Amino acid sequence: MSFLMNRHTLTVASLCGLLLMLVFISYAVDVRVFTRIATTLCINVVMVVGLQSFMGNTGILSFAHIGFMGVGAYTSALLTIPAQMRGMALPDLYPFMEGLSASPILAIFLGGIVAAVIAAAVSYPLMRLSDAAAVITSFALLVVLHTVMLHWSEVTNGPRTLFGLPAITSLPLTAIVAAGAIAVALMFKESRLGILARATRDDETAARAMGINTPRVRWLAFILSALLAGIGGGLWGHFVGSFSPKAFYLKETFVILGMLVIGGPGTITGAVLGVFIVTAAFESLRTLEVVLNSAQIFSGQVVGVTEIVLAFSMIAVLALRPGGLVPTREIGDAIVGLIRKRKG
Amino acid sequence: MQADIPTTALLASNITVEFAGLRALDGVTIVINPGEILGLIGPNGSGKTTLINAITGQVPLATGQVTVAGDVMPLSAPRTVALSGVGRTFQIVRLFDQLTVSENVETAALAKGIKRKDARKIATEILQEFGMLSRAETIAANLNYGDKRRVEIARALAATPKFLLLDEPAAGMNESESQMLCKQLLELPKQRNLGILIIDHDMPLISRLCDRVHVIASGKTIAAGLIENVRKDPAVIEAYLGSSARQDA
Ligand SMILES: Nc1ncnc2c1ncn2[C@@H]1O[C@H](COP(=O)(O)OP(=O)(O)O)[C@@H](O)[C@H]1O
Ligand SMILES: [Mg+2]
Repeated sequence: MSFLMNRHTLTVASLCGLLLMLVFISYAVDVRVFTRIATTLCINVVMVVGLQSFMGNTGILSFAHIGFMGVGAYTSALLTIPAQMRGMALPDLYPFMEGLSASPILAIFLGGIVAAVIAAAVSYPLMRLSDAAAVITSFALLVVLHTVMLHWSEVTNGPRTLFGLPAITSLPLTAIVAAGAIAVALMFKESRLGILARATRDDETAARAMGINTPRVRWLAFILSALLAGIGGGLWGHFVGSFSPKAFYLKETFVILGMLVIGGPGTITGAVLGVFIVTAAFESLRTLEVVLNSAQIFSGQVVGVTEIVLAFSMIAVLALRPGGLVPTREIGDAIVGLIRKRKG
Repeated sequence: MQADIPTTALLASNITVEFAGLRALDGVTIVINPGEILGLIGPNGSGKTTLINAITGQVPLATGQVTVAGDVMPLSAPRTVALSGVGRTFQIVRLFDQLTVSENVETAALAKGIKRKDARKIATEILQEFGMLSRAETIAANLNYGDKRRVEIARALAATPKFLLLDEPAAGMNESESQMLCKQLLELPKQRNLGILIIDHDMPLISRLCDRVHVIASGKTIAAGLIENVRKDPAVIEAYLGSSARQDA
């Protein structure tokens, strides 16, 4: 089979094609709102594909992911808020940190590294746990990260909004990073570590009996996942320009978990598809809300439709199709399968 | 007795396992030599599966010790035992359901630190041997029962173990599947200098595969040795083979 026909190449190409299409449509339509939505979508692809690297391969639900997004966003902020704004943006900043500075692109990448290092340092003991215990401790980790962001005023400006990040994040940049995240996640999934992680996911006892070091492979998947979350956080920070710790908590966790669960945590195709579907549904519902409210069909304001619909969609998918819309086969596998069938 | 055990053997000596007051194994000593297929038989609940779990470090030992080719195994360390060259299968098949057949087999090699490409080659060879190459890309969950059993054995072999512990590998197989398995198992010891321990209830199958058998009942060894001698042992007839064996004799 030639290189171009390789199922993994096909998967990456198909998913990146989807992103490319989004970029083209956005330029063709040339409406600001659409570009904003498309940019957010690409950032969410980085986030959800990052979550897939851990959750999909190890089978462990993690609530901590958004916390690492926050780590990335704050790290990038510290490195890029212009010197003349620092005094205002971060009045309590430690003197030794005042001189820190990097270009935004480098800062976004370093945000990922810092998130990965923190994940590496704190998560190893958690990786011995499975099932409910693992899920609960990942939730505890989110609470810890959130609390630190809320109270470490010197570095985060506490619960107040931190502003002054250069708004350099563009749609093409996010699309390129999203494409990179897709490629990295697929490479990991198909690597030695990825297969070992998926083995521990499917049967921990058998994996141990074969000598697989379960905590270690989970740990490495978690670090990769945090790296991508950190990069996603930096991208987002430089997109919105200002944020506070509450941007990295429960509601956001719910949205990216919803995207992954609906799309299918087992595949990168599912993760990407989940982002597209949930984004499309969200934006349509939001428009519907606006229309309903402006037409004043109901006496009060219609709010929260999007969250409720997401919640019910998650329940429906979990009940009817527990593996999500794309449970096991990547799009590249499906294409190769089709071609083989045609050839007979 | 211990003096003439070759240092290449797997020795589990004086193994006692307790579950909340229940003594599932009581001072059992068993030796598996490279190149032989040893049968482990005994009534249901006599502790056969527990003995495999004890050897592989998957249940804590109350007493006893496991030595693999001269190396003393640390307690409750299944990874160390696995990486010292002891492979196993499970009474209830445990495959990695969402992985393909080939990936399932590869994992055992990968776990030993072998590179992806080489692991793939090893998996292909073994699947070929087991006549499963055409199913290499099938998701394991979609296999029929007999094939699942064979993939589980193939997977254990991909780690190139010195010893292989099989927990009722023919259970649930039909006659022809079990015949084929038998033929494949008979090849292994000489080919790979592998020591096999096999649990099964099917006495004809055990007689075909094994020269030596080890019999346990209620967690204790009641007989061990050449199969024709063990067959005549009154304790064995009483505890396990029951009236059907008495009629055979
Ligand atoms: N994990 C466990 N916890 C408690 N009791 C167990 C456990 N595993 C096995 N047993 C008990 O130990 C005894 C031996 O079981 P087992 O080794 O499975 O027997 P066999 O494989 O010979 O049929 C049985 O009485 C069984 O109920
Ligand atoms: Mg048993």
